[in-house]
Amino acid sequence: MNIPERSSNLITGCVGLIFSLVYIRFASGIEDSLLADEVGASGVPLAIGGLMALVSALLLFKAFIQKPAPVLPSDAKQDPDPDAPQNPHRLALGLLLILAGYLVLLPWLGYVLAIGLLSASVAWFAGGRESKVLLGFALFTGPLLWFLFDFALKVKMPVGIWLSLFAG
Amino acid sequence: MDTLLQSLGGYVWLWVIAAAFGGVLWGILGGALPGISPSIAMALLLPFTVGLPPMIGIVLLASVYVGAEYGGSIPAILIRTPGTNAASATVIDGYEMAKQGKAGEALGISLMSGLVGGLFGLVVLVLATESLAKVALAFTPAAYFSLGVLGLSVIASLSGGTVLKGLIAACLGLMIAFIGSDPVSGVSRFTFGSADLLDGVKPIIIMVGLFAVTEMLVQIGEPAWAKADKISSSLKLPDWAMTKRLFRPQAIGAAVGTFEGVTPGAGGTVAAFMAYSESKRWSKHPEEYGRGSPEGVAAPEAANNVVTATALVPLLSLGIPGSNSAAILMGGFLIHGLQPGPMLFTKAPDIVYGLYGGLLVANIAMLLIGLVILNPCIWLVNRPKPYLIAGILALVMTGVYALHQSVFDIAITLAVGVLGYAMRLLRIPILPMVLGLVLGYMVESNYRRSLLISGGEHSIFITDGVSAGLLGLSLALAVYTGIKEFTERKSKK
Repeated sequence: MNIPERSSNLITGCVGLIFSLVYIRFASGIEDSLLADEVGASGVPLAIGGLMALVSALLLFKAFIQKPAPVLPSDAKQDPDPDAPQNPHRLALGLLLILAGYLVLLPWLGYVLAIGLLSASVAWFAGGRESKVLLGFALFTGPLLWFLFDFALKVKMPVGIWLSLFAG
Repeated sequence: MDTLLQSLGGYVWLWVIAAAFGGVLWGILGGALPGISPSIAMALLLPFTVGLPPMIGIVLLASVYVGAEYGGSIPAILIRTPGTNAASATVIDGYEMAKQGKAGEALGISLMSGLVGGLFGLVVLVLATESLAKVALAFTPAAYFSLGVLGLSVIASLSGGTVLKGLIAACLGLMIAFIGSDPVSGVSRFTFGSADLLDGVKPIIIMVGLFAVTEMLVQIGEPAWAKADKISSSLKLPDWAMTKRLFRPQAIGAAVGTFEGVTPGAGGTVAAFMAYSESKRWSKHPEEYGRGSPEGVAAPEAANNVVTATALVPLLSLGIPGSNSAAILMGGFLIHGLQPGPMLFTKAPDIVYGLYGGLLVANIAMLLIGLVILNPCIWLVNRPKPYLIAGILALVMTGVYALHQSVFDIAITLAVGVLGYAMRLLRIPILPMVLGLVLGYMVESNYRRSLLISGGEHSIFITDGVSAGLLGLSLALAVYTGIKEFTERKSKK
């Protein structure tokens, strides 16, 4: 997770500037109603968009006048950490895909099954390899959270397609 | 005082104690679960209070509020997931302490600071309701705008030495706050035709994404994370030396919490962030903040627990519910045919003083229940990391869905988690973003209302005494921070 400060400033400034310009474009498209006040619905968003653009430009300027950090010979020849995973970003992406899968499956599978599946797959992805423990964990997590939220706190969780299957 | 003593006498007291303990336990559970806000936890119990005697029902609801505001700090410290909005400031140093193996100490500090804050707030509520109610009445839209500006003035001290990036993050937070219906005309803004965005984005969804999801995305790729050291296995209450050290941040938290609590609409979240920032500003060791400072846990926890009592000042004295939780409590009064406001003290003094007594018991209950449940909580987070990470994500996904029973909210949380990951890569501070998000609506709506009142004259922000005072204070604090940072940088060179 180490990006040199100058590169970090450069990326943040660039992304911030582009984002703020797109934001200003959208903000200026907001239509006012007959009830609009002097400032209007777009007034404050435009001002904040402008502020962000200005600050991003300043950050870019700072990055341009910053001297790049010197690369020390010892940095280049550092031994890799034996404990370090090969690519942390790839692992983060993998976890994100599992979570996105949960998002898609939740309305279909229903809450208890989907959350059980999510728990087991995340635990497996994170290094849990004992299949019996994984199964037990999934069987425990789903009903426990359902009991807490749906039964005790009266928050209705999705039941999935199962009811419609039986009804149909 | 006689009425107070009378209300505490007889067998009713036993029911008050039972209601306070039950309410606090329910509140801690609700507060600790992301997605169940204090007001939702209270609303769930509201129907049950119909059949109860008025005093018991109202004590039950107020105790849920006390428990929920405290409960939010437990997952904030242990798993970097604020259970409530107000617990977001506790994440900063609480989770850092947990990472250093001091979770038991952080939980002990949070518990004791919560107790100190709750009891201080109660004293203020009992002794100064009448005079503090005048403060609430003095708040015009211009004063609210300036209060928001005062809140935003702490951005520099929350930016960790990167003010430009902090400002970008704050703008991002404000931009998210502008999503939804315009507060004055009702026009949709940045909703892109989605009905899910018409009501805006709830801050807790963003906070859970920024703190919890981002942390899990980082944790999964951390070197040697699977064999990380276990965190301290038991709760540790502050010893005498630590108690003395925490006095100053708790006092700052109590003062800020009192001010924010009596101001309708300000609330515990703003109080917690301001208390954190002010405590850092006046600390002898500001460099320790953000790196696991005990003071950084004590100040916000004291502040948001003071608010649980002082937020009742405008409700009881003026009949103004200053927050969602106060509105639910007001519902509890109305269900029993009681109208909060100036007449409440003459028409139903037994209820008011019973509530004071109930709040006292609720704070004691918070301490006792905390002592019982915190060790099992620490045990839970010492489970093998693959199962811990899976359990946290299951809880977070469930809690986010529970807010509106909407899959869309989960999608936003995941997107914000990715944003938080990118911000961490680029070392953009996330706290200014949270502050912008929380204060965005307050600043914009009151700025525009003020201009409507003044016919477009910006001088209203100076001619209004409270507003001018708050703006002056913001300026003074900003200048003080600037000079302090400049001097420190110079001395380092």
